[in-house]
Amino acid sequence: MAPAIALALVTITLAIAQSGADAASLWRHAYHVPVVVAALRYGGGGVLAALTALLLYAPFVLPALEREGATPAVLEGLLTFALLLGVGVLSATLARVAQRQRARYETLATVQRAVDGDTPLDLALARLRACLQMRLDATVGLVVHDGARLAVAGGARVARGSAVARVLASGAPLFVPDGGGPGPLRRCFVAPLAARGGVVGALAVERGGDIPADERRWLPLLAAHVSLALDNARLAARQRRFADELAEKVTAATRHVVEMDRMKSEFVAIASHELRTPLTALQGFSELLVLRRFGPTELARIGAIMSAETERLGRIVSDFLDLSRLERGLTPSLRLTRVDAAALVADAVEVLRRARTTHEFEVDCADALPALDADPDALDRVVKNLVSNAVKYSPAGSRVRVAARAQAAPPAVEITVEDEGPGIAEADRARIFEPYYRTVAGARAAGGAGLGLAVVKSLIDAHGGTIRADNVVPHGTRMTLILPAVP
Amino acid sequence: MRALEEPLAREQPGFLHGTPVPALATLVVVWAVATAALPEAGWRVVGLAAAHGALLGTALAWTAPSARRDRWAPLEAALVLGAAASCARLHPLGVLAWAVVPAWVAWRRPARLGARAWQSGPAVVGGAVFGLLLGAHLLVNTSLTFGYRVRTGPLAELADWWAYDLGANVLAAEMFFRGALFERAYRRWSFATAAAVSTAAAVVRYLADPLLPHSLGMAAGATFYMAVLGAGNCWLLARTGTLGPPLAATALFFGAYRLLAPR
Repeated sequence: MAPAIALALVTITLAIAQSGADAASLWRHAYHVPVVVAALRYGGGGVLAALTALLLYAPFVLPALEREGATPAVLEGLLTFALLLGVGVLSATLARVAQRQRARYETLATVQRAVDGDTPLDLALARLRACLQMRLDATVGLVVHDGARLAVAGGARVARGSAVARVLASGAPLFVPDGGGPGPLRRCFVAPLAARGGVVGALAVERGGDIPADERRWLPLLAAHVSLALDNARLAARQRRFADELAEKVTAATRHVVEMDRMKSEFVAIASHELRTPLTALQGFSELLVLRRFGPTELARIGAIMSAETERLGRIVSDFLDLSRLERGLTPSLRLTRVDAAALVADAVEVLRRARTTHEFEVDCADALPALDADPDALDRVVKNLVSNAVKYSPAGSRVRVAARAQAAPPAVEITVEDEGPGIAEADRARIFEPYYRTVAGARAAGGAGLGLAVVKSLIDAHGGTIRADNVVPHGTRMTLILPAVP
Repeated sequence: MRALEEPLAREQPGFLHGTPVPALATLVVVWAVATAALPEAGWRVVGLAAAHGALLGTALAWTAPSARRDRWAPLEAALVLGAAASCARLHPLGVLAWAVVPAWVAWRRPARLGARAWQSGPAVVGGAVFGLLLGAHLLVNTSLTFGYRVRTGPLAELADWWAYDLGANVLAAEMFFRGALFERAYRRWSFATAAAVSTAAAVVRYLADPLLPHSLGMAAGATFYMAVLGAGNCWLLARTGTLGPPLAATALFFGAYRLLAPR
């Protein structure tokens, strides 16, 4: 386009020269066409075209002015000077304003496109910076508070006392007409990014040339748009993250419910079997007592068996009741009193020692254990349950060790039950205290509804204590429970 | 990016900060004494050296790093210019002495001037084309308007003027009006304001030049051309960041101007 405009100006000048080099030649009006075209195409180029037209037209007007004075023709020529300049400046100004507005709308649209909710903040800032640099023809820096850290695009850090640091502190735009330093002049304008009633960052524009007042009025609007876009993107990302987390939780809960359902079904089957075994024994022995007559020794043996089975039945029912309370979120009811841990452990082990003759029992209680503020029946169930498990899951002839010792700070009693069984797999160890959970090896080796340890844990929790399971070297399991002692 | 990584510079010093007032005052006194005491040839040399020395020295002082204030640069510049002018007057080959002035300026290593002046070849060519076009227009226009003719000799006289322009007139004017005054104004105000201040000062300087024929037509012409040249040079300097293009433009414009012969 520029060569065409230059050619038009030269052609018009030649036409004036050909038509008698008259200062008031009609051809002079034709200068307006390339001037307006240059203004529409290049903005400021209109002024340049007007000046070129003046320089080309001046040799026809000024000599006439010198020779003939201010004749009407010369005055028309001088008027054309003013008109050309006026048209050039006016059309260039209007064209530049229109071009600027268009460029600004395009910049706002670009900002919107550059930031979306899927992009991480640092990447979004880098992308935004790149597009703003291209649109503003300047070096651009973006700084945004991201929680405790400051995300920076366009520099390594925000120096103390820098223009951006000042704007972050004051929240007011800052124009620096001279960035300082011995190098070429660089102007800088920093606008705050405001959102949610505070300053969340800053937009810095640095340029080697002018940052005109008009642009300085617009940049805070651009900053507001940028902060809004970033805030929207951040909110969208957060919403998406929440939705994902919720979906994950729902999936996990559903999986858990399905698992619980499966375990409950399994539990009903096992519980029926567990209940049926002592019931069958009781039924069988009671029928025998009805049908036959036994001597006193036989009667005593049958009575002992029926008592043991009844006790077993009672224990299973107690477990069910405790589980029911557990599932309703209730803690087991306790009757707290001063308990001598050593005596309790010794009594519980002694009862089992008499009933389970297949294993050796070793009791090691430290002297002068502090008293416990506990429910003796609950604690008795706990110890018996742990010792029964140790017997159940270790080979016949092996040793079961039960120990109790004091802990100083905080005052507590540690009770350990150790067997020489195969131990518990790492993955199972975290779940053995869940209701209905039974390890594969455990289910194969022994019966049970998978309630014992869940009930034990709930009782220990109700006492404010802790319980954990560890494997011992070379093989075996150690259950450690710690109960707070009376200070 | 400075706005992020560098602490903000302290408040800018005043517009006339760093002006070598004692040296300039000394030059005024010397010129006054020379005008009263010396014959015309003598005080013309002193006047030329003082005027251009004042511009050149002030430009050096204004653009010197803060550690080096160049307080006596106008006197040094006036001495160098005076020596060169004397040589040019005393011997036919003395015009070569004008080359000492740019050499002296280069030796002074001005902080913001000249260091990158010739680094941008295309920009310098652009400046030269601008000066050449404006000079050509001047020749055409003045020959048509005022009846001035274009001369091609005597070569010695033309060479004398060209050497003076390159060594003193153009160098001092561009270094002061563009390299120092425009640069200082542009660091405070918009381009339009800074260019207006610089160009107005340059126009006043040439209108006050005793070598310029004093007629209304010449004054109008000088105002027009110096305004266009000044505004163009400010734009070139702001655009390229070097004094090379303005120096080339002004040198070629004055080169063309010296080809004009009076009626």
